[in-house]
Amino acid sequence: MIDAVKAAVVLFVAVVVQASILGGYSPLGGPADLLLVVVLSLALLRGAVFGAVAGFGAGLLLDVANLSTLGFTSLLLTIAGFWIGRYGETTARDRFHAPYVSVLVVTVLYAFCALALRFVLGERVPAHAVLTGLPAGVLWNLILTWPIYGVIRRLFPPVDAFDRTYDVRLLA
Amino acid sequence: MPRNRTARVAVLGSPVQRSATSGSSSARSSAFRRRVVVGFLIVASLVLLTVSFRSNALDGIEGAGVSVLRPFEIAANRVAAPFRDATTWTRGLFRAKSQNRVLTRKVEELNREVAGYKAARAANAYLERLLQYERAPSFPQDANRYNQVAAQVLTSPTVFDQTITIAAGSNRSIAVQDVVITADGLVGQVTKVEGDVSRVMLITDPDSAVRAVDEREQSAIGILEPGSPGDTLSLTSVGKDKTVETGDTIVTAGSPGGGKLPSIFPANIPIGAVTFVGQNETDIYKEIQVQPFVDLSSLHSVLVLVPKATKPAKK
Repeated sequence: MIDAVKAAVVLFVAVVVQASILGGYSPLGGPADLLLVVVLSLALLRGAVFGAVAGFGAGLLLDVANLSTLGFTSLLLTIAGFWIGRYGETTARDRFHAPYVSVLVVTVLYAFCALALRFVLGERVPAHAVLTGLPAGVLWNLILTWPIYGVIRRLFPPVDAFDRTYDVRLLA
Repeated sequence: MPRNRTARVAVLGSPVQRSATSGSSSARSSAFRRRVVVGFLIVASLVLLTVSFRSNALDGIEGAGVSVLRPFEIAANRVAAPFRDATTWTRGLFRAKSQNRVLTRKVEELNREVAGYKAARAANAYLERLLQYERAPSFPQDANRYNQVAAQVLTSPTVFDQTITIAAGSNRSIAVQDVVITADGLVGQVTKVEGDVSRVMLITDPDSAVRAVDEREQSAIGILEPGSPGDTLSLTSVGKDKTVETGDTIVTAGSPGGGKLPSIFPANIPIGAVTFVGQNETDIYKEIQVQPFVDLSSLHSVLVLVPKATKPAKK
């Protein structure tokens, strides 16, 4: 419960900062996505369900803040949070490279999925702008990962003992 | 293997207070719960996406939500303002030196031109009076036709979404299709209005089209549309016989007199400068690229031109 409250506050701050400050800046041609990094960090540390719920809530809030199509960002962030949550639960939560690999891969996939979803919705697909800005976006997100993951890890210390035990099978 | 082994052995030293059977069942229920939650969230997202995309049913909720978020966005903007200003100032400083030389030369040229224009303008005004010539609204010449509502910009455009949210809505009599400008030039038009916020479609949005004209060559009228790359514009439908040059200023053309579908943009609002002019044998029109005067990616505040004449509220 405390985790949920803390996560709600962290995500709310991230949405406000993303919508009103970072959203419009594209230094070196690509924007930083603070919200994505926060959602992935939470998902890595708290698992798939927590990550998916965090992604859904944060995405919905961002769509509301931008007065854009509701459900667009929440769909993408739900899937991202769930996937990275599973990655954390099953493979690599304690490894140093886990948050960086997660952010790298998801930033790229997020961009392509956003383009695909826009295409499906019949909206403009600015593929050239997205692809040329992608390397810078990945760079900024990786730079953000170090402090953001550090802060999130302090706020949400790992609780491995509970969610790893069910992976053990006793052989008869 | 002894039959009476404990779970302690299996988990390499960490004690687990449950049997193998219950552990497996717990894993299954956990996986089931996980799938149910994620499935529900994805379905909820898709439902929201569909409803939001196909109708305006969620607009009220969205408007209420954005009103709640507004104070926080304003606070974040205030906190970020000094850093943003410092960045802009530093960038401007580097640019200013090189621009200074160019501008000094240009000022000398323009001073010479202005002397000629003053005489032409006086003659033009006299002739217009003589002919009782009716003009379409223009700005700022017809500034008294509009109430100018200054509003802070709450959200910035992204590569996907060339719109901004501003901190003024129907509470300030803003309506859909009101024109939005800054001191530098045209920004866009209002596309959605809530109680105390509005959404503005920028001129770089793919759905935007502005009737525009070359200020120097008044017969070069075309439609200004978003170009590629995303922060530039493209002036289309300008015939090859028109003389458009790099550096020319493009302004809104307003409406041709007596049109049934008048342009929502008053005439003479600066839009941008021509950066490229080209033509080839297969195209029937010139290819003209325009760089907007307004830096649309870092808007702090804008001015909404609200026509004084009463008009039906659109939303």
